[in-house]
Order: sequence, then C-alpha cells, then structure tokens
Amino acid sequence: MLIEYQSQRVSLWYFRLALVLFILQVIMGLWLSINYAFTLPQDLVNVFPFSTAREIHTNVLVAWMLLGFMGGTYYILPPECGRDLYSPKIAYAQLVIFVAAAVTAVIGFLFGWTRGKPLLEIPFPLNGLIVVAALLFIANVAMTIIQSKQKSALQWMLLGGVTFLAVMYLFGMPFYKNLNTDYYYWWWVIHLWVEGAWEVVTASIVAYIIMRVTGVDRKVVEKWLYVETGLFLFTGIVGTGHHYYWIGAPDYWIWWGGIFSALEPLPIVLMVVDTWMHVRERRNPIVNPLTWYYIIGLAIYHLVGAGLWGFMHTLPPINYYTHGSQITVSHGHLAFFGAYALLNLTIFYFAMPRLKGINKYQDRLGKWGFWITTIGMFVLGLVFGIAGILQTYLERFLDIGYSTAHLTMMFWFRVAFGVGLVFLAGVVITVYHLFTIKPSSIPAPEPVVTPASNI
Amino acid sequence: MTGKTARLIFWVGTLTSAAIFLWQTYDFHMQTPRLTHTDKLTEQVVAGKKVWHKYNCNDCHTILGFGGYYAPDMTKAFYRLGENNIASIVQHPDVMYKNSFRKMPQLGVSETETRQLVSFLRWVGDIENRHWPPQDEKFVQAYRLRESQPEKLDKVHLVLQACGGCHTFENQGRNVGGDLTTIANRIPYDRQTLINYMINPQSVRPGVAMPPQDVSPQTAAIIADFILSLKSTKEVNK
Ligand code: HEM
Ligand code: HEM
Ligand SMILES: [Fe+2]
Repeated sequence: MLIEYQSQRVSLWYFRLALVLFILQVIMGLWLSINYAFTLPQDLVNVFPFSTAREIHTNVLVAWMLLGFMGGTYYILPPECGRDLYSPKIAYAQLVIFVAAAVTAVIGFLFGWTRGKPLLEIPFPLNGLIVVAALLFIANVAMTIIQSKQKSALQWMLLGGVTFLAVMYLFGMPFYKNLNTDYYYWWWVIHLWVEGAWEVVTASIVAYIIMRVTGVDRKVVEKWLYVETGLFLFTGIVGTGHHYYWIGAPDYWIWWGGIFSALEPLPIVLMVVDTWMHVRERRNPIVNPLTWYYIIGLAIYHLVGAGLWGFMHTLPPINYYTHGSQITVSHGHLAFFGAYALLNLTIFYFAMPRLKGINKYQDRLGKWGFWITTIGMFVLGLVFGIAGILQTYLERFLDIGYSTAHLTMMFWFRVAFGVGLVFLAGVVITVYHLFTIKPSSIPAPEPVVTPASNI
Repeated sequence: MTGKTARLIFWVGTLTSAAIFLWQTYDFHMQTPRLTHTDKLTEQVVAGKKVWHKYNCNDCHTILGFGGYYAPDMTKAFYRLGENNIASIVQHPDVMYKNSFRKMPQLGVSETETRQLVSFLRWVGDIENRHWPPQDEKFVQAYRLRESQPEKLDKVHLVLQACGGCHTFENQGRNVGGDLTTIANRIPYDRQTLINYMINPQSVRPGVAMPPQDVSPQTAAIIADFILSLKSTKEVNK
C-alpha cells in the first residue's frame, strides 16, 4: 500500500476533474488567440463574443486550480495528521457542489448570464454555492487537524492559507457603486490570492512533498516554510499597491506599492534555494525522476514567470506604459503556468501514481508532456511579450493610434495560435499519461529513511 | 537560524504588512470622495455601471487598465469619443466597425441604457488617476481646451477631438466615415451648409449615417473653415 489512509482517495476525483477542465481552458485560450489573429464575421461575434470566451478561459482556469489545491490538501492531510479525514462524505458533497456551480456558470456565460466583472463573473446565486463548498472544505480540514494527535506547523500553515483564500473571495462579491472602490477590492481577491494566500498554500504543499520524497528533516523544512511565507505576506500584502497606481488612489501608493512589490521576488528566490538544497541533501534515492522535473521546474518557472516577469513591470514609471497591455498577458500566463499549473501537476504526479498503488511509474510519455508544455508556454509568453512591447511602444510611446498598433498584433497572434496548438498537444499528452499511468518494469531503489521518521 | 526566529519572522512580517495595509485602506476610503468626485456619482452613473456589467463590456475593454485587452481602454473614452460617438458605437457596432479588423458584437443596448452608459463613462473620465492611459491624455487636454477657449486651440487637435472618432486626418483618427481631406475635395457645400451638416446631418443630406454632433456653432465654424481650407490647399497644389 502506498497511501496510508483510505480517505486520501477522495482526492482522486478532484484531480481527474481538474485535468479535464485544464484541457477545456486551453482550448478556449486557442479560440481567444483566433479572435486576435483573424477578422471574424459579425454574425459569429454577435453570438459568441471574445468576452464570453475570455470569461470561460479564466474561470475554468481558477476552477481547476482550486480543485487541485483542495484535492492536494485532502491528499496530504491524513498522513500529516496521522488519521483519516474528518469526513470523506463532506469532501465528496463539497466536490459535487463546487463542480455543479462551475459547470452551471460556464453554461450561463454562453447565454449571457454574468456579473460582468473580469475574472469574477460568476453570478450571485452560484457564488452562494461556492461559499457553501468552501465552508464545507474548511470545516473538514479544520476538524481533521483539531482532532488529530499529531500537531505540526505545516498543518496550521495549510489551514491558514486556505482560510485566507476563502475569506478574500468574499470581497469580490458585493456590488460597489464606485468603480475605483470596486477595483480596490477586486485586487483583494486577485492579488491577495496569487501573491498571498495561494503562495502560502503552495509553500505548504511543496514543503510536504519535498519532505516526503527527500527524507529531509521536518524541522529544517518547517523553518524554511515560516521564513518564506512570512516574506511572501510581508511583501505581498502591502505590495497590492502595485495595482493602485492608476485607479485614483492616494499618491503614497506609488512608493509603498512600488517598493514592497519590488521585494516580492525575494521569497520566490528563497524557494528555489531551499528546493535546491533539499535535493542535494536528500536522504532517499530518486524513485521517479519526472516528479523531480516538476518539483524543480516549478521552483524555477515560478521565479521566472512571477518573480522576473512581475518585477519587470512593477515599478511605476514602467507600469505607466505597460499597464493593461499584452505585457500583462505575457506575465499572467507565465506566472499562472509557472507557479500554479506546475504546482498542480506536481501534486498530481506525486499523488496519482500512489493512489493507484504504483511506486515507480513509466514516465516516457510524461516527459514529452513536461517538455512540450513548459517550453510551449515559455515561447507563448515570449510571443505575448513581443506583441506587448510593440503595442505599448506604438500606441503609448509613439502615440500613433490604436488601430495601427493593434494591426501588428494579428501577425503575433497567428504565431501564438501555432505555438498554442503545440502547447495543447503537450497538455493532452500529460493528461493522458496521468489518467493511464502504469508501473515501471525497472525496480525502484529502496528508501533509506521511512516517511514516518519525519513526524 | 532557530525555529523560534523563523516563527518570529513569520508573525512580525505578516502583522506589520497587514497593519500598514489596513491603515492605507482606511485612508483610501477617506480620500476616495475627493479623487473620484463622489458628489457627481449620481443614480444615473450607477445605472450606467450596471449596464457596463450587464453586457460584460469589461471582458473586451479595459477600464482603469483592468479587464480584457481586446478592445480600447474606456477610462477616458468620454473625452476620446464624446457622447454621440459612444452612442453610435454602442448601438450600431456593425456599421461603425464595418471596415475594422476587429468586430464589436451587437449587444442590444437600449436607448436609455446608452444614456446611462455615457453618464458612467463621463464620470469615470474624471477620476484623478494620474493621467493614465498615456495615449488618451491629448484627448482630455483637447476637450478641456475646447470647452474653455476654442479660438486658441490647435486646430488639428480640435478637429480630431470632434471628428476623429469616425474620420481620419493624416493617419490620425478612426476611419469609419472617410478621410477629411478626401471629403473636403468631394463636398460642394459652402461654409454655412457645412456647419449645419455637422450639427444636424439629416437636414442637409437625408438618410446619411453620420450622427448629429454635439458641438457649439462657434466650434463647428472653426471646423468648417479647417475642412474647407483642406480643399483649397489641394487645388493650389494641383
Ligand atoms: C504566482 C504569482 C503571480 C501570478 C499568478 C500573477 C498573475 C497576474 C495576473 C493574472 C495579472 C493580470 C491581472 C489583470 O489585470 O487581469 C497580474 C498583474 C500584475 N502582476 Fe502578477 N502575478 C504573480 C506574481 C507577481 C509578482 C511576484 C509581481 C511583482 C514582482 C507581479 C507583478 C504584477 C504587476 C505589476 C501586475 C499589473 C500589470 C498591469 O499593470 O497591467 N506579479 N499578475
Ligand atoms: C494555448 C494556450 C493559450 C492561449 C493561446 C491563451 C490565450 C489567451 C488570450 C488571448 C487571453 C486574453 C487576453 C486579453 O484579454 O486580451 C488569455 C487570458 C488569460 N489566460 Fe490564456 N491562453 C492559453 C493558455 C493559458 C494557460 C495554460 C493559462 C494558465 C495556466 C492561462 C491563463 C490566462 C490568464 C490568467 C488570462 C487573463 C490574463 C489577464 O487578465 O491579464 N492561459 N489567454
Ligand atoms: Fe499583484
């Protein structure tokens, strides 16, 4: 048996649904790039406009990310707490509610049922369902931790992260009369998620996985965890100000937002360093190289997409020109993919073979998937970046008008479409590989320290 | 580093940042009335914001730089386009963008909703957001000048502000209704007819697609002189 507790099995359905949504999300992305690359007939635009496709692309993205986080939490919690989940039934009920809300939302979008608020378009009644699902999830996690005899910093960090995540969502729900107040709190959801709560969840899950596969001492891992999350929140909370430069907020945001957000890459650098150190000081042999590709790929890509690409446009004098352009899109893709898509895939590659009782898996196909998606997305990010530099230079710097600036984009989005097709192939390969994962015929090396010795 | 130091870093880091942030949030609410002119945030503006959400405009157009990047930013759209152009675009995107490489969907926005949207965009345009976006600042300046002293304004700016939503001049503006130089050489109208045409196109050429322009007779006169001067230059050149 590779999983220690039966209730860890609930996570499998979270992972499967997440992977299906991943494919749907990417197909919508391709459709968006077609909208840019070609002139579409007016009749088509009338029934299925860019706006509808965009809300599907982004909401499905958020949905599969959250499914991965929740599934991942359910997977690691029992061994971390030394007991089964408080209630697997709640876990399944919550999954059904969440997915029902997400699917209804996507169908509703097609018929124009939307709140029309970017990234948070889900209408109010469905948001109610999502809140119910979130409450069930947090209650289940909290009860499992409270009732367990083993206490660890990691448990509390994880609980804190998901609670923070859920609470922030509430700020996006009311109707705000004033547009600037609306966007002020919009960023409490978007920014404090990706540069706050989600980072805490990521750091905790990665800490757990690294501890498990390397056999590195728990004390060391948890120390890093505290320092990293502390720095993430220190820089990330006030760093929210890098979105308040041009919304009609007081002047000091230019300084506070600029300086704190410029420090945001620091904890990400620490994550790369500690991953690297733990790999070098591992006490157990590497069983599945592909899982390692993902762990290290995640650390590096996180630094590039979020740290480097984020830093490039976070200072006010630069952001004045790049704000709300294809440069933002470039960063959005590299950061979301590098930090959170790869985190989810790391979780899946860690957990899914074990859930099927496989210790060492065949990874030939999965390696293709890894290289095609990671390189594909990087090239896609560069293409968006070039389109963005052209756009900002022509439209905002030279000031030669919107049409001319955007006409150049047709070419770059044809390239993006081509690259996107390759990326989609990589995603399909990865998903297929995970769904059909098989044991390897090569014997696995014996572990030196058992996971239990870490607790 | 000991575990205790690590925990201390976590708590001190998190709590200081949260405390600063909450204080700033308080101050933000104190200053928002001044920075966004909440005294002008009428029911009509709020209704316009609801229309903006209802048709999901924000997933193609950015506003304050947020949202979809598919279509132009709407923060200063009121200054860039003016009320009439916004109304024509919203109600007849198929006509306005007939020759455009990107299309806007026909959303079925009603007459009332259009007025509400315009009020919303006019209010948004006044938010003190440090002159972002950079490319629209010239339209804001031109609008302000046109309002105060039309005579002194650089004529090209004035003309483009008023007509640039649908006409081009030397590659500036949006080509929906044709280039102004071409038009100048085609039209047979005298000065007064041209002025009437701008203010009420149907009175001169019934059935024409151009909407009435919200310009004062003085401004219309300046624009008419400008357009007629394009004609003579051409003839002299020949
Ligand atoms: C994994 C972490 C991150 C993710 C997933 C992420 C994602 C995103 C996304 C999706 C947007 C666009 C939001 C919108 O307007 O629709 C955005 C904007 C932005 N991000 Fe990040 N980001 C991350 C980390 C960072 C970091 C660490 C920095 C700074 C060092 C940063 C700097 C920025 C800036 C300055 C913008 C605003 C761009 C603009 O003005 O248009 N991001 N981010
Ligand atoms: C074939 C692959 C993909 C293509 C061609 C694609 C294309 C696009 C396009 C054209 C947009 C709209 C930008 C705009 O509003 O103008 C967009 C938005 C977005 N996509 Fe993708 N996408 C792809 C895959 C992905 C993946 C894998 C992720 C995340 C892991 C992702 C995350 C996002 C995000 C976060 C936004 C919103 C960006 C923002 O608000 O700044 N996309 N995508
Ligand atoms: Fe941010």
